[in-house]
Amino acid sequence: MATQTDSESGTGGVMMRDRFVKRLGEIAAAGFLVAVGGLLVWILSTQVNYTLLASPLIAGRFAEAFLLVLRIVVISSLLSVSFGVLVGLGRISTSAVTGRIAKGYVEFFRGTPLLFQLFVIFFGIPRLWETGQFPIQNWAVPAAIIGLTLNHAAYVGEAIRGGISAVPDGQMEAARSLGMSRVMALREVVLPQAWRNALAAIGNDQIILVKDTSLLTVIAVPEIMSVFRNINSNQLDPWTPLVWVCVLYLAITMSMSQLVNGLERRSNWGSDSGMLGRLSRGSSGPDGGDG
Amino acid sequence: MARERTPNRRQYLTALGVGGAVTLAGCMGGNGGGNGDNGNGDGNGNGGDSGNGNGESETIVIGSDIPYEPFEYRNEAGELLGFDVEIAEAVFGEQLGLEYEFQQTGFDGIIASLNNANFRVIMSAMTINETRAERVDFSDPYFTAYQTVLVLESDDITERSDLQGMTVGVQRGTTGEAAAEDLQSDFDGDLEIQSYDQITGAFDALLNNQVSAVINDNTVSAEFAAETDGVVFLEGDGVAADREDAPDYLTLTIEEYGIAFRQADDEFREEVNGALAAIREDGTYDEIYDEYFGA
Repeated sequence: MATQTDSESGTGGVMMRDRFVKRLGEIAAAGFLVAVGGLLVWILSTQVNYTLLASPLIAGRFAEAFLLVLRIVVISSLLSVSFGVLVGLGRISTSAVTGRIAKGYVEFFRGTPLLFQLFVIFFGIPRLWETGQFPIQNWAVPAAIIGLTLNHAAYVGEAIRGGISAVPDGQMEAARSLGMSRVMALREVVLPQAWRNALAAIGNDQIILVKDTSLLTVIAVPEIMSVFRNINSNQLDPWTPLVWVCVLYLAITMSMSQLVNGLERRSNWGSDSGMLGRLSRGSSGPDGGDG
Repeated sequence: MARERTPNRRQYLTALGVGGAVTLAGCMGGNGGGNGDNGNGDGNGNGGDSGNGNGESETIVIGSDIPYEPFEYRNEAGELLGFDVEIAEAVFGEQLGLEYEFQQTGFDGIIASLNNANFRVIMSAMTINETRAERVDFSDPYFTAYQTVLVLESDDITERSDLQGMTVGVQRGTTGEAAAEDLQSDFDGDLEIQSYDQITGAFDALLNNQVSAVINDNTVSAEFAAETDGVVFLEGDGVAADREDAPDYLTLTIEEYGIAFRQADDEFREEVNGALAAIREDGTYDEIYDEYFGA
């Protein structure tokens, strides 16, 4: 491995000097910032119609779409994580039947596009009834929630499975040798650690879920992209509604990654606010803060 | 070991980079080749040999939202058929002797796409209206259409006012959507509109009990109603009641279709207008019209 003296004396040539590479990175990053920032300022100052942007008609329609997306995201998020835990547990089951079924589920929902799944649910399922006899009116939103849940439960399931297999075998063995049953050992020892391992992957997937709601425009859910497309085709002005779209999606995804970061911090070993931190402080003295 | 591996990894990365560049170049070349093939295929299929004779002229790319039966759609074999397709053959192929090809695109972004030079003209059963005319120039009208309402026979919707409080399906960005919005304001907002990407989605929604009615161009809706049991036009006297060629069901608006051009394309637009006049004169237009809409 390269040592300090190696890099300072430049045995790798000038290209390999730490300081040179660092400067190069800074120049590239700054150039990128100037280019993108300049383009952004130019677009915002020449392309965006601010009267239209602030007009209550458009703002109201985007607000309505935003609330609908938020509702769909919250429900499908909760459902897909709960269902995904079951899928993950199924994947590590010692029963061949459960394991295979869970594997088949994951293969299908990860292996076909979400758009296909939405079409099956929204266009296909109602056709099992006679023309006009399908009992559920306004099927688009329920179909969307079912599709997003089934699809993302597969990804969450795989994240949970990965989290569980990343917990060292010794944890399970130790718990079993203390007389715990397999289920109890899983619940008390393995899953809490697996959850921490899987959290980043699950959070990542849930952010993708938010962005996947943009596909719902093709099954006539009046979500954010639909409002954009409607305003763009009426006003023939793409940039103004695009600003709204960008801000609204980032509002959801950025607060979501904050939430995931918070959860990760909480479940971090060793840190003051993490589980071990709280435990060790709790045992070391009564005057420890309560995190 | 580790020392021997390092160059291997570097070689691997270099190879990957070179391979990627070659693939990318191959894709771009492939695209060009593919387009050329399409052009030839269209020319042959539509008897555009005269266009090939002209050789040097560029292929006219026509943007169109397919399927929109009977104006532009593909049969089971994937052949492109329809009123617009045959008019295009008569105008661009026979009259102007040009090579042309249809390019599929979504309707709601079709005008932006034309202005971004993704194609030369739009032929997509497109109604001439003022908002659109601000961004594009239209040819002389080549078809008259009416916005009409499709409902299920089994439902209790028998007149225009029955639509109040209902949900209607439309295609996004169409004049059907605009007619639905007008109806919505007539009903003081008491009408829900669901916009689908393609008209087939709205038709599906009607059959699946998601919408009570579909508002769309009469000829396209008529095709669907004829093919599907239990789907009928909403009756009533509409805006077109006093026109002699008007359909005998409720009409919400009267519209005319035009071919759309970029605003800087006046010369070509004049040529096409001349060709449109010529096919009306020599009977080609009537022939095509009767083929698709004749009694």
